[in-house]
Amino acid sequence: MVALMRWVGGAAVLCVIPFLLQPYELDLYRKLLFWVALAISYNFLFGISGQMALSHFAFAGIGAYAVVILMTQAGLPLGLAVVVALALAAALALIVALAATRLEGFYLALATLAFAQLLIVVLNEGGSLTGATGGLTNYRLPPIFGFVIGGPGTAIIMIAVLLATLAILLRIDRSWFGRACRAIRDNSEAAAAMGIDVARTKTIAFTTTSVMAAAAGMVYAFFDNTVNPPVFGIDNAIMLLFMVIVGGSGSHLGAIIGAVLLKLSQDFLEPIVGHYHALGFGVIVVVAILIQPKGLIGMWDQIRARRVAARKRAAS
Amino acid sequence: MTGEQPLIEVRGLTKRFGGLTAVDGLDFEIRPGEVLGLIGPNGAGKSTTFNVISGTYQASAGSMRLDGEEILGLPPHRIAARGIMRTFQHNMPFEGMSVAENVMVGAQTTVRSTLGRILLGTAAARAEEQAIRARADELIDFVGLSEERDAEVTSLSFGQGRLLETARALAGEPRIILFDEPAAGLTPSECDRLGVIIRGIAERGIAVLLIEHDMRFLLPLADRVIVLNFGQKIADGTPDTIRTDPAVVDAYLGEAGGVGADA
Ligand SMILES: Nc1ncnc2c1ncn2[C@@H]1O[C@H](COP(=O)(O)OP(=O)(O)OP(=O)(O)O)[C@@H](O)[C@H]1O
Ligand SMILES: [Mg+2]
Repeated sequence: MVALMRWVGGAAVLCVIPFLLQPYELDLYRKLLFWVALAISYNFLFGISGQMALSHFAFAGIGAYAVVILMTQAGLPLGLAVVVALALAAALALIVALAATRLEGFYLALATLAFAQLLIVVLNEGGSLTGATGGLTNYRLPPIFGFVIGGPGTAIIMIAVLLATLAILLRIDRSWFGRACRAIRDNSEAAAAMGIDVARTKTIAFTTTSVMAAAAGMVYAFFDNTVNPPVFGIDNAIMLLFMVIVGGSGSHLGAIIGAVLLKLSQDFLEPIVGHYHALGFGVIVVVAILIQPKGLIGMWDQIRARRVAARKRAAS
Repeated sequence: MTGEQPLIEVRGLTKRFGGLTAVDGLDFEIRPGEVLGLIGPNGAGKSTTFNVISGTYQASAGSMRLDGEEILGLPPHRIAARGIMRTFQHNMPFEGMSVAENVMVGAQTTVRSTLGRILLGTAAARAEEQAIRARADELIDFVGLSEERDAEVTSLSFGQGRLLETARALAGEPRIILFDEPAAGLTPSECDRLGVIIRGIAERGIAVLLIEHDMRFLLPLADRVIVLNFGQKIADGTPDTIRTDPAVVDAYLGEAGGVGADA
C-alpha cells in the first residue's frame, strides 16, 4: 500500500512538472525522461543480464520509425500502429537475440553494433519510406480519446512508459528471473549447472528490454514530430552505456542517476565546449571506473557502509 | 539403504579429448542415500566424469540412466532439472550477489511461477518467493554460514566458499549431488563440519558422488569407493577392500605413499 502511494506520488510530481516549464525547458525535460527510460531498460540488459549489446538505441529507432511509417504510410490508426510497431520490434529483437545471445562479451558487442549500423544504413537508404537522410516529418499525433496532445502531454506519455518500464523490470528483477539473469552475468557455467536455461533467459531479457526501448522511441517520435537517422546512431548507444556505467551498472537507481547526470551535463556543456563534451565524458567514465567500478551507487554504498561501521564502533 | 534400486546407472561412459581418453568405459551405479567415493591420481579423469554426467561436456560414448530413463547428453540445465546438482572443483560463486541470493539461485529448478504470474504479483508467486528465501536461510544455517547470510560472496574465505557451493547445490533439492573435492583447502574444523553435512545429506536419502583426494576424509564417509586410473576403473568396493587393494596401492604409490597412509 505504502509502495503504491509512493509510485502514485512520484508519478504525480513528474506529471506536474511539464506544466511549469518554458518550451525550451520542457523539451529538455522530455528528452531527459526518454534517456532515463532507455537507461533503465539498458541497465537490465547490460548491468543485470551482462549482455554488452549496442543495439538498444537502434530498437528505440525501430519503434520511432515503425510507428510513424505505419501511421502515415500504411494509414493505420494510432492504436493499431503502436501495437504493430511493438510486435515488429519484438520480432526483430527475437531474431537478433536468437543469434546474438549465443555470443559473449566483445563478440556480442560487435554483432549488435553491426545490427545498429545496418539500421542506420537502411534508414539512410530507405528512400521515401524512411525519408532517407532527412528523416520523416510532417506528421503529428492524432487526438487521443478526443484530447489534442501538446508538449506536456507527450511528456506525460513518456512518464507513463518510463514508470511502466521501471515497474515491470523491478518486479522481474526481484524474482527468480532477475536472479537467473545476474547468475548468468556472473558465471554462466555455474548458472547452467543450477538449472538455468542460459540461452532462453538471455533471449527473454534481450527481447523484453529491446521492446521497452522501442516503446520509448515511439513516444520520442512525437516530441518534435520528426525522426532522423543520426539520433539512433552509435554515438547515443555509447552514451547510454556510459550512463549506466557511471551511475552504477546493475542498479536501477544508478541508471537513473547516471542518465540524469550525463544528459544534463551534455546539455549544459555542449553549448560551451561544442563536441568536445564527448572527451569530457570519456574522462569521467575512466575516472569513475578507476575509483569505483560500481559507479556512483557503489560510492554511495561504500560511504554508507563506512558510516554504519563507524557508528557501531562508537556504540561499542 | 543399499538394497534399493539404483537411482542412476552409468554404463561404458567414455570421454575423449582428441587422442586422449580421459574417461574410458566407466561403469557404476548409485542408490538413494548412498555415498559413493570417486578417487584416483591427478588427471585420472574424475572431474571429467562429473563434467560429462552434468552435461557440461558431451560424452563420446556410453549411457546414463536415471530411473531407467536415458539422460546422457542432455544440456546442463536439463540435467539439473532432473535432480542432479553439482559443486565445482574451483569455487564458482555468483560474485555480484550476496550469500543468500547465491543459494536462492540454486533453487532455480524448484521454481513453478511463470513470468506472467510474477508480473501480476499473484499470491502464489509471492508465496513461492518467500518459500525459496526461507529454504535458502535454512540451508545457510545447515552449512554454518549464518553469520555471512547477507555478506557479499567476495568477502568469504576459501573454505566458506566451499560451503556456499554445497548450500547452493542443495537448494535445488537434488536427488543426486556431485561433490568435486569439497574438502580441498578446508581447515580441519571446516573438514569436520563438511563430514557432518555430507552424512546429513545422505541421511535425507540423497545420493552423494564424492571426489576426494584426502583419504582420511573420504574413507570413513563413503559406503563404496571406485578408483580411476588413466580414465579406467581399477577397483570398486567398500572402503576397507579399497584400502588394501594392490592395484589401488600401486596407482597411488609414489604419489601419496599408499592409500590413507598419510595423505
Ligand atoms: N577440456 C579439456 N580439454 C582437453 N583435455 C582435458 C580437458 N579436461 C580435462 N582434460 C584432460 O583429461 C584428463 C583428466 O582430467 P580431469 O580433470 O578429469 O582429472 P582429475 O581426475 O579430475 O584430476 P585432479 O585430481 O587433478 O582434479 C587430464 O589429462 C586432463 O588434462
Ligand atoms: Mg579434478
